[in-house]
Amino acid sequence: MKRKLLENQIIIRLMKVSLLQILLAVIFAGGTLAHPISAQELLNRKVNIKTQNEKIRNVLIEIEHQASVKFAYRPHTLPKDDKITLDLVNEPLSNVLEIISKQFGIRYEVVGQQIILTPARQVQAPNKHSSLVPATYESIDRTVAGRVTDENGDGLPGVNILIKGTQQGTVSDADGSYRISIPDRGEVTLVFSFVGYVPQEAVVGNRSNVDVTLQVDQKTLDELVVVGYGTAKAATITGSITSVKGDVLNRAPVVNLSNSMAGRLPGLVVVTRSGQPGSDGSTFRIRGANTLGDNSPLIVVDGVPNRGLERLMSSDIESVTVLKDASAAIYGAQAANGVILITTKKGKMGKPQFTITHNQAWSMPTVIPETADAATYLQMLNEIYINDGQAPRYTEEEIQNYREGKDPWLYPNTNWYDATFRNAAPQRMTNASISGGQEALSYFVSVGTNFQDAIYKNSATYYKQNNYRVNLDGQLSKHIRYGIRMAGREENRNYPTRSASDIFSMLRRGKPNMHAYWPNGLNGPDIEYGNNPVVVTTNQTGYDRNKTTVLENRANIDIQIPWVKGLSVTASAALDRTMVNDKLWRTPWYLYSWDRETYDADGNPVLTVGQKGFSGPELQQDMADSKLVTMNSLLNYEKELGGKHYVKAMVGVEKITGNSMNFFAFRKYFVSTALDELFAGGDAEKNNGGGASVQARLNYFGRVNYDFANKYLFEFVWRYDGSYIFPRDKRFGFFPGVSLGWRVSEENFWQGLKGFANDVKLRGSWGQTGNDRIDTYQYLASYGFGTAANNIYVFNENVESKILTELRIPNRNVTWEVANQSNIGMDASFINNKLTFSAEYFYNYRTSILWNRNASVPSSSGLTLPRENIGEVVNRGSEFQLAYRDNVEDFTYSVSLNFSFNKNRIKFWDETPGVPEYQKSTGKPMNTALYYKAIGIFADQAAVDAYPHWAGAKPGDIIFEDVNQDGKIDGLDRVRIEKTDLPTHTGGFNVDLGFKGLYASMFFQWATGTLRNDYYEFNGETGNYLKRDAEGRWTPSNPNASKPRPWNRYSEYWRNNQNTYWLQNSDYLRLKNFEFGYNIPSSLCQKLWISNAQIYFTGQNLLTFTKVKDFDPEVTSATGYPLNKVYNLGISLTF
Amino acid sequence: MKRLYFKPIILGIALSFQACDQDFLETTPYTEFSETAVWSDPALAETFLNNIYFRLDEPLTDGRMKANIVDEAHYRGNGGSRDFNNGLMTQDNLLVWPSTLSRYRSWADIYKNIRYCNIFLSKVDEIPFSSGVVDGKTPKERMTGEAHFLRAYNYFNLVTVYGGVPIIDKVYELEDDFQIPRNTFAETVDFVVSELDKAADLLPVRHSGNNIGRATRGAALALKSRMLLYAASDLYNKNRYASFSNPELVSYTDNNQMQRWQAAKAAAKAVIDMGEYRLFRAEPSPSDSVAQNLVDLFLTKTTEEDIFIKYFTTPMGQNFGLYTSPNGYHGWGTNAPIGNLVDDFEMRDGTKFDWNNPAHAAEPYQNREPRFYSTILYNEAPWRVRPLDAQNLDPYNRVQTGSWEVWNASTNSVNIVYGVDTRNSTIEDWNGSYTGYYCRKYIDPNIDAQYIKQTVTWRFIRYAEILLNYAEACIELGEEEEARKYINMVRRRAGLPGLTESGEALKKRYRNERRIELAFEDHRFYDVRRWAIGPEAYQPVKIAKVVYKLNPDKTTAERPTVTHEVWESRAWNDKAYFLPIMRDEMNKNSLLIQNPGY
Repeated sequence: MKRKLLENQIIIRLMKVSLLQILLAVIFAGGTLAHPISAQELLNRKVNIKTQNEKIRNVLIEIEHQASVKFAYRPHTLPKDDKITLDLVNEPLSNVLEIISKQFGIRYEVVGQQIILTPARQVQAPNKHSSLVPATYESIDRTVAGRVTDENGDGLPGVNILIKGTQQGTVSDADGSYRISIPDRGEVTLVFSFVGYVPQEAVVGNRSNVDVTLQVDQKTLDELVVVGYGTAKAATITGSITSVKGDVLNRAPVVNLSNSMAGRLPGLVVVTRSGQPGSDGSTFRIRGANTLGDNSPLIVVDGVPNRGLERLMSSDIESVTVLKDASAAIYGAQAANGVILITTKKGKMGKPQFTITHNQAWSMPTVIPETADAATYLQMLNEIYINDGQAPRYTEEEIQNYREGKDPWLYPNTNWYDATFRNAAPQRMTNASISGGQEALSYFVSVGTNFQDAIYKNSATYYKQNNYRVNLDGQLSKHIRYGIRMAGREENRNYPTRSASDIFSMLRRGKPNMHAYWPNGLNGPDIEYGNNPVVVTTNQTGYDRNKTTVLENRANIDIQIPWVKGLSVTASAALDRTMVNDKLWRTPWYLYSWDRETYDADGNPVLTVGQKGFSGPELQQDMADSKLVTMNSLLNYEKELGGKHYVKAMVGVEKITGNSMNFFAFRKYFVSTALDELFAGGDAEKNNGGGASVQARLNYFGRVNYDFANKYLFEFVWRYDGSYIFPRDKRFGFFPGVSLGWRVSEENFWQGLKGFANDVKLRGSWGQTGNDRIDTYQYLASYGFGTAANNIYVFNENVESKILTELRIPNRNVTWEVANQSNIGMDASFINNKLTFSAEYFYNYRTSILWNRNASVPSSSGLTLPRENIGEVVNRGSEFQLAYRDNVEDFTYSVSLNFSFNKNRIKFWDETPGVPEYQKSTGKPMNTALYYKAIGIFADQAAVDAYPHWAGAKPGDIIFEDVNQDGKIDGLDRVRIEKTDLPTHTGGFNVDLGFKGLYASMFFQWATGTLRNDYYEFNGETGNYLKRDAEGRWTPSNPNASKPRPWNRYSEYWRNNQNTYWLQNSDYLRLKNFEFGYNIPSSLCQKLWISNAQIYFTGQNLLTFTKVKDFDPEVTSATGYPLNKVYNLGISLTF
Repeated sequence: MKRLYFKPIILGIALSFQACDQDFLETTPYTEFSETAVWSDPALAETFLNNIYFRLDEPLTDGRMKANIVDEAHYRGNGGSRDFNNGLMTQDNLLVWPSTLSRYRSWADIYKNIRYCNIFLSKVDEIPFSSGVVDGKTPKERMTGEAHFLRAYNYFNLVTVYGGVPIIDKVYELEDDFQIPRNTFAETVDFVVSELDKAADLLPVRHSGNNIGRATRGAALALKSRMLLYAASDLYNKNRYASFSNPELVSYTDNNQMQRWQAAKAAAKAVIDMGEYRLFRAEPSPSDSVAQNLVDLFLTKTTEEDIFIKYFTTPMGQNFGLYTSPNGYHGWGTNAPIGNLVDDFEMRDGTKFDWNNPAHAAEPYQNREPRFYSTILYNEAPWRVRPLDAQNLDPYNRVQTGSWEVWNASTNSVNIVYGVDTRNSTIEDWNGSYTGYYCRKYIDPNIDAQYIKQTVTWRFIRYAEILLNYAEACIELGEEEEARKYINMVRRRAGLPGLTESGEALKKRYRNERRIELAFEDHRFYDVRRWAIGPEAYQPVKIAKVVYKLNPDKTTAERPTVTHEVWESRAWNDKAYFLPIMRDEMNKNSLLIQNPGY
């Protein structure tokens, strides 16, 4: 092979530059094993160029088109006097490059399909393994050797190694090793540099061996960021856009992709409310809440809007981009809440690379509530009876027996959480991918499977997924490229027939003086509905199996118009199908009870069995099928004018249509449980139903970019959007967005500062976007049948008739909600990109929010009000991101910090007239509520008498503040609490460490400004208390308590009137991810025919710091499945 | 060459979008009916009326009765009803009224129903009805009559708890001015009556086929009887609210009570004179179990006594059976009768039950009148077969609300064994009744309520009430002979001897008769108010203590000792004769005037 290369004239010429550097750069491009033939072929491509004093940049664009290559270069690489005259016909690319490189003193390297241009003024090409003869040093006293590796621990060939302050240096060899002679005296520092990597310095000191690991430099590669309907160079972006690489998300050992995003993207507020396998998705709010209506952002996967991201495999993800400001206007009508763009991986050029990864994890709740024990619980019940003037029910002796656990049959002390939970639930994720390709076709193919079990013993709850993805990119001819994205998955959710909220409700209620299981192992009794959690978490209740099949396909074709330079057309069509099959098979189950007195002849308690849940098996099957077709065409144009003016324009049209249908059937009276199919059920009371819906959207959109000398940047995006949601004459809305940028660092006056602050950009944007996420058909006067099973009326004893109701009063003027978004920001990088910084400030003013005028329209009108475009909300805030990356010899580290603030207030909406000022919601954040202020506990009757109180208040009750000081407690004493369960400040702090093959990372994430309402209804006779409610409670002997007397459900005024006693500050800081791994040395790998191997430990939510006790601070429900803490071991092998 | 190849492709792409005009954006909802469709189809219009029937307040669906907030029953487990029973409702907190104990009965819900009636009446002329006559009326007449009846029923539900309310008989549009003052009590009653008069003219006397269950002429006349009886009652005629700035909102301000009794009498008589209704098993034969007759009255789907009823089928999800059954049947023990009510059931011979009578006190559940046995489940009352897990606790299928004192020879002490339907039961103890009683009326013993919803018919109006309405008006008018005749029709059916009293004694017997006959039928709550007997009715709750005592010889007594003990407080506040209009509604409609005391 080498021979063949040597024969090639071009390569020989290139050797002058650096044969190895180029060859190995090709081979190791992007960490892949590239095929040398591909570079050769690329350089052999023929081009026709005829120019007269043409700008070199235009020439390069032309070459890009003709040869289907991409040039990458820093702006200053091309000299100022950059005109060239060429007349070449059918000339190999290599020759053209040679001419250019000579004329302009630049150097080129082929990396994959990219040709990297760099100034040629760097080191002279050295001989392999040789050191340069020093001219400027008096003596060479000793030799230092070592190895340069990349992030994966692979040797990095072709790295320039310079002695700092000299022109002396060497280049690393094929496996990254080098040897260099250095002067014996003085502090010697080596500088390691390689294109595409962050340069690194190492002080030699006394060492004779200096190994370093280079980090990929995202910036220097002119990183492309995915934006709406295209990509943009990070350096010239003017909107507020943040992105994260799939690899980073892949560190989180979570089955649901949405759970890996918290804290990673400044401005994206992520809250996870439940950890239940299969329904553990996080809620996203870009820059917090902006509207009184639907706040969910638009999710675009591989260019197709309205897809879901939760069930994508993180190993398939190339990048995630969040459009936070007017840059989202290109998605117009659905973009007011921001846009999240997901891009999946493409095939990497070169020979096939096969990677297989397996993760084995164990998960458990982040926190388990501590409940009162049996003796305390019964004691508290007695206190309730005494407070009500009744006799206590349990004697001291009985309570003592419970305390001592005297007889396991008579005096149980059950901790229901312990009885129901196992130590950890297993979770597995396995995936394999093949990536590779050549000029005509590149491919990324992956398959994956994951399994997530629940924390219950004998769990009937689990989530299981199988998925595949085929991403192809190819070239039909010189001018035509195409892309195909095909993905499919099957999501299996298995649940018992009692919901998680039933289960967790019963766990919390679970009376400690009842048995989970009897000492002989039989099922214990229930509190009600047969809901004994140790039983209903298993498959004894039947099953609820949901199978969701999702197929997402898209094909696109790009055509370069050969007769108009810079013009291209792209067309794409996507077809998404979602099919849901749900089978709910409910069977009776059996619990045992004991009357506490009947014993058999042997003295064993006699248990009696009770049938629970259902009188017999019942089967319901639900089916839903939906289809979404997204078709768009784009026209792109790109032109360089007069050397300094660069113009890029795009216009497009997009049509989205969709429909869905659903259907269900139900039967009961199954003769036996042996067959769980509909046909086997009885005819009596069988039932079925179904429905359907459609959607349609038509959009025109475009973008113009202009930049002057890479310094002054301008972008205009627009969208003219039509949605089926609105009436004909209000259907279309126009949404513009403008942004400007100024790269201060490109100015002449900055050049002196460039060594310190190498890249500084200021930018600002303004735009309008729309929100059509409202109930459909509000402009129609519609009537509908009641949909619940009991929505019927019966005549003639048993004839069931439909009931028709007025669905809404039409609002014939309903139209778009408009988001006015302003943003200013800056991006800067310092000290050779080691330190990067960005800051944003935004002001979002949402108008025409669709809201009901309920507050001012008396209910005597009887109106079911439509939403009208009346609301106005202001949301403002800021985001900061700071990162530093460096190394100390072999030890590499990077830290990054991001934090964001947002605060919204209602500027206008419908407010009930006559409400006192301090109760008004206008001017306050959205979704706040009125609460009585709890200011203590009445110590005794004297205290009750001394302060205005609720009628019937007793000692031990919570004191409500007489806010308006009118001497009585009534609805006017409620105050508006301005916090909600959505944070106003979130942040993330990440540390990455590396030392030779070892690496570790820690990611902390926090959120503040939140409240959690800790009220839970079923305490007292209906269920147990938390331990903290029991400890330090008010009793006659503990009158100065800070906690109230025991209560019975919602009987007390401070239980059935919302008050601040039950509110908790739920700010938190948590160690969201932790990773520790080892790259097995390549020497060892090679022996095993592996090119790369990695073993690692990762963790999720390992530590949480919060004031919230007993519950996860993110979980707002008292009866939801808790969030998970995950410990994961993984191995990844690449062949 | 290549150019030729490209051009069609690009052209094709461009055309593919040009071809799509915007008509595809013009979609229609697949699960909704347009306004035009509804009012051009009599069948759809009829289902719109069905919805108003569906939204009429009745207690069986949600399983909780107004009995719990008057001197009939106790609502286990809700402090809201306790507070209501102590007059603690405020304009910020109406306690159990709008939600727990009431279905579609909040101010807002009722006005929504009224809007639906108004919509129907405003559209009725557009509906292309057939001209055929069914049961003597055209569909248009019948449905118009139904709408008037339903509108009257909803205003009746407002006026009885709020007094005079804004009368809204038009369909509000978004742009309208919604500020509207309350009409006077007299105007509101007049409106209800005029609506019922219209309905009575338009509705058939009797429906056939699948119209059975819709309002009839008799239903309209019967509701008119109830309205006029209420309007003639003391609360609205005795000028209780002299100090209230707007007494006309909550009462009549003239002195024509006697005239109103006349009107009430005439209205009841109009129903009676229709000759359409009879008491169910009005003349029990000596071989009949009268108690069983009365049980059958409520468990039979349709009877000759029904004037206006609501049928149920399983999918309608009637919860009453589950909520009201004893916990030993996995029921929820809600709507538990209180001792105060139990004491008011007479003896079989028509004499008053008396704890001071040693024979009565020894066996308080023996020799009571038949309605006691058809209404109340008491200790040892026979009931349905126990569920599997309670069968060994009660092989006899008799309600156990008592406890047994059992001598434990090994420990030389008394063990107390609690009945399976007590709050110390081993089955769902917290669902047990506090009062020692469970309600039997309206529970279908043939259904295992823990799994299956019962389908007992709810009787909004039955003939017995009309007879009593008539008798009450007669008493107030001094026509005692006539009154006794009609009261005694009800008593005869209940297997009781006739009344012979007169004067105050007769009035007292009548009121007790109404209390017992119509127990758990959502009447008492209103009767206590219109008679203005709040202080008398809201007395501390008495509950039964049932103990099988330890005999001196250490055996346990065969027969229990039953006593009634005062247990939970109740108190009266005069403001509770009316409900408050909520502060929120007051804020939204500045013309409203709040009821006295709030």
